[in-house]
Amino acid sequence: MTQSRPKAQDGVVNDGGKGAASPPLIDRTDLGLAIIILVVCGYLYWVTTGFDKVADLFAQDVPPEFFPRLLIWTIVVLTLGLPFEHLFLRKKGESLDEDRANRINPVVYKTAALMLVIVALIPWLGSTLSMVAAGLTVPILWGERRIKVLIPYAIILPLTVTFVFSYLLGVYFEPGIFGS
Amino acid sequence: MEPVIQGLLLVLDPYNIALIFGGVVIGVIVGALPGLSSPMAVALLLPFTITLDPVPAICMMAALYCAGTFGGSITAILINAPGAPPAAATAIDGYPMAKRGEAGRALGMAAVSSGLGGIFSLVIFLFAAPMLARVALQFRPPEYFALTVFALSMLASISGKSSLRNLIAGAFGVLLGTAGIHLTTGVERFTFGFYEMTDGISFIPVLIGLFALGEMLGQSQSLNVAYERITSIVIKLPSRADFRKVRWTILRSSFIGTFIGILPAEGATVAAIMGYNEAKRWSKHKEEFGHGALEGIAGPEAANNAATGGAMVPTLALGIPGSATTAIILAALIMHGFRPGPYLMLETPHFIYAIFGAMLLANFMFLGIGLGCATLFARITLIPRQLLWPAVFVLSMVGAYSFASSIFDIWVMLFSGMVGFLMKRHGFGPAPLVMGLILGKLVEESLSQSMIMFDSNWFRFFESPIVNGFFLMTVLGLLWPLIKRPFTAKPKKP
Repeated sequence: MTQSRPKAQDGVVNDGGKGAASPPLIDRTDLGLAIIILVVCGYLYWVTTGFDKVADLFAQDVPPEFFPRLLIWTIVVLTLGLPFEHLFLRKKGESLDEDRANRINPVVYKTAALMLVIVALIPWLGSTLSMVAAGLTVPILWGERRIKVLIPYAIILPLTVTFVFSYLLGVYFEPGIFGS
Repeated sequence: MEPVIQGLLLVLDPYNIALIFGGVVIGVIVGALPGLSSPMAVALLLPFTITLDPVPAICMMAALYCAGTFGGSITAILINAPGAPPAAATAIDGYPMAKRGEAGRALGMAAVSSGLGGIFSLVIFLFAAPMLARVALQFRPPEYFALTVFALSMLASISGKSSLRNLIAGAFGVLLGTAGIHLTTGVERFTFGFYEMTDGISFIPVLIGLFALGEMLGQSQSLNVAYERITSIVIKLPSRADFRKVRWTILRSSFIGTFIGILPAEGATVAAIMGYNEAKRWSKHKEEFGHGALEGIAGPEAANNAATGGAMVPTLALGIPGSATTAIILAALIMHGFRPGPYLMLETPHFIYAIFGAMLLANFMFLGIGLGCATLFARITLIPRQLLWPAVFVLSMVGAYSFASSIFDIWVMLFSGMVGFLMKRHGFGPAPLVMGLILGKLVEESLSQSMIMFDSNWFRFFESPIVNGFFLMTVLGLLWPLIKRPFTAKPKKP
């Protein structure tokens, strides 16, 4: 008895109705990821070529670039396996795609941008006022609209943190232009 | 036996008990605050203890050390921001439990495991300190190198689905650890013109960024998802059945932690990694790890607190600090006119036993505080996300900054947070990177020192049976999935 060969459509092999389609050899997302890591490794390797040279006797046979290069090569070798890893994970019934299937929500970019702005303002606003800014703006960005909650929150939280860290533990806080 | 009784009587003085309690409370709070670590708190306490008598002064610091290690687990479980590096492994399973509304159970487990681990290590100290110290004395740079390579190899299975990604993240962590001035030659590496990086990348901002900010960015994506948390479940403590389930994990991790703690320079963080990994290796429910396994909390917590007792052994008996905190305690001993080392054991044995009595008491105290206040701490998870996470951001900023009063560290934290978010999205766990960063310096230093000892002859590593033992365990650990396959494969159906 002969069995007809499963047809291939759009690069995906039909498994004859067994349920799951055979995966491609290379995962495109992981290939992109591997390329990024390899580029970073290449850059870091290039940086190691610029380390100051020291005499062999002084370096005692362990020059400063030796260990970082050893690690970079280790990462390169491991990274070469990344595009094919999904095949092994699939055998175990696991997949990484469910974690990255959805696009990143715009609020993530907005939150990251807001955090960057707040940190950039610390030297100017000072530590305490920057915390007030964070306590006020991040909840608003995240949808908090209750003014009766927001205002006390944005004042009490920074003041408590300042009291504990600056007054009790003696941590130096940036005074900012208003403080000075 | 007389010095033991004398030492314990010293501890039971009401004034000393009050100071030990103060040390425990400060330790729990400081340990829970991201960015403030036990070494920092003990260092801040040092000037204040100079005016005290030596026994209460050192007892208070030792109590703070024990409680601080436990305190780190509170924020690790509640907001995925380990208060201290040894609690990083606890976050892997503690935070998923808190997320599914079982914060009280996770906190209770952490308190009991920490307490039992600490008590176990102190009992071991009383009976076997001289013998254990002798074993630790055998460790030279090659043995440390082999031990750290073994610890790094264990990162493969520490969290997430992918061993390959864990190893890549771990190797990147070690690479980050090479930034700064090279120890042997004084050459600057990977500083990119920032003078703040000449001392290397501080792991506190990286740790806070990867764990807390990375999670915060992830949380921002699910603001519309309503969590239904029932207060009675959130504040529920672990049951007897829970403790029965983890009793062997606690015992095993306590052994591991005590032994690792005794090794100079190996501290609670390495112990916690090994405790977690061994808990997973021996578990019947490996698939639960990373998703909120009780054993994943009991393992690292018992190990990291057992390491505190262990770390005091070489500090007091040999004058070699077992961790950063014990190094400061060693300095305090010298400031109080003591000579740490064999003479301290010989001349004032009651003093040694007083310190260990104080640590024993501290373990019972934080066990009580941990269990008593677990329900209180657990209520933190009931705070709405749009208010809880901005507070975490504020605490993270201050935590990263306060370590060295440097705004540069806040930038490092922020960058780490964004990288952490992307890493998590693509299956790279933040824990291996942090562990790699922490172990990085030790592995390079021990390798350099070994190469100098061996005249660059790699084969001489294999002359030491301890090194061979660790290398063998490394290879077996990495190849274990392949080795076990023939034994665990299901028989094919006919």
